[in-house]
Amino acid sequence: MSRLDRQSFLGSDSDAVLEAATIGIVGLGGGGSHVVQQAAHVGIGGFVTVDPQTIEDTNTNRLVGGKRADVAAERPKTDIAERLIRDLQPNARVLSIRDSWHAATDQLKTADVIVGALDSFKEREQLERFARRYLIPYIDIGMDVHDLGKGFLVSGQAILSTPGEPCLRCCGFITDDRLKREAARYGAAGGRPQVVWSNGVLASAAIGLIAQILTPWYQHPPAFVYLEYDGNKGTVSRSAHMETLTECDCPHHPSNETGDPMFDIREHKMRRRGDASAPGRLTSWWRTFWQFMRSSH
Amino acid sequence: MKVCFKITIGLLMSIRTDLRRSHYFAHERVGFISAGLSACGDGLLVLARKYRPLRDDEYLLDTSVGAMMGPDAIRRALQWAMQDGVALFHVHTHGGRGIPSFSGIDLRENAKFVPDFFKVAPQCAHGAIVLSDTAAHGQIWLDRSQPHHVISSFVQVGVPLSKWSTA
Repeated sequence: MSRLDRQSFLGSDSDAVLEAATIGIVGLGGGGSHVVQQAAHVGIGGFVTVDPQTIEDTNTNRLVGGKRADVAAERPKTDIAERLIRDLQPNARVLSIRDSWHAATDQLKTADVIVGALDSFKEREQLERFARRYLIPYIDIGMDVHDLGKGFLVSGQAILSTPGEPCLRCCGFITDDRLKREAARYGAAGGRPQVVWSNGVLASAAIGLIAQILTPWYQHPPAFVYLEYDGNKGTVSRSAHMETLTECDCPHHPSNETGDPMFDIREHKMRRRGDASAPGRLTSWWRTFWQFMRSSH
Repeated sequence: MKVCFKITIGLLMSIRTDLRRSHYFAHERVGFISAGLSACGDGLLVLARKYRPLRDDEYLLDTSVGAMMGPDAIRRALQWAMQDGVALFHVHTHGGRGIPSFSGIDLRENAKFVPDFFKVAPQCAHGAIVLSDTAAHGQIWLDRSQPHHVISSFVQVGVPLSKWSTA
């Protein structure tokens, strides 16, 4: 009898499939920490967790696994995530990257699924583009609180963007206008409101999607999923985009963009051999691009 | 070197459907898959992009094999590899279930024509894939003059995502 017996409807080999899987989790705040915890519960065996920050006092309203002692110790969120994982999966394969995800691309490439729990639309778009380039299904989760004047609307989304299927732009979640407005707000003081219960709902939806991808429990699950959360009504419902985009041929991520643009097998082989005449450790094109963007600001 | 070949379910299904079409004299159909490449640790990721089948008139009449490619087919594939700078994989299917194997003729012919792709796209790796209805098996050359490697694992990307190891 295994600790996963109660989820045996996922398939006779589901324990092994989940154990062999590796998921990347980018952003280990309110949403990402929930994902880490639930992924460990369901028996995922490999984790690439990425977040540059340490826990702060204002994170403790929602960061699952975070304790006040961690705040005092200025503990990195990646360490808290690893502790959560190891409590349930002591032998898990955990790669903790305390940095921007742009510095973790080599590790994220190995993931079977990437979950993005990021605040910015620009970062989401870049992470989805990265996932498409390496043919990795990407799940985006996020919540927001809107001031209605006489109250607030709590809302959010969980979107599964599978290579070859509609993307975050196809379904209108990412638009040029949103990116422009975000860029205009850049540097504005104050964090956006975040609460544990909404993050929990969306993280659970993401884990359901991961289980659907790795160990589907019914036939023909959809490859593009857009779930809309309405925290005021207390509902999670399928977006109308799931029906309207069934025949969509995504124009934003053409298939000829897979792989590294400047890859050369001759250099890769030389590096493997440790050939003295080979160039030193080559920086990945993605990291070079990221460093260039950072230095130009 | 560990080599992982990744392909979307949609592309793989369209290839299987295309290869099942009958030809007026060839016993089977063949085509080419283009791919991008990426280092993954010491290993290599092969990331499938597009599929192009041979045209009906690009087969040669040869009853000793299932399908014999004519010079136009090879020329067109070489041109694709050169112009787009892509890795190219010859593909055909044996049908059935489970991990398939290359026949002796497949192995002999692959070794003859695949290394030629390095003349036009030496920066890429090239190879050959054989499909079944549920899995795939493949060979990859990293260099024109070196022996091939067996593709160690395949990932069918989509929902459900499936993986299998072959080496």
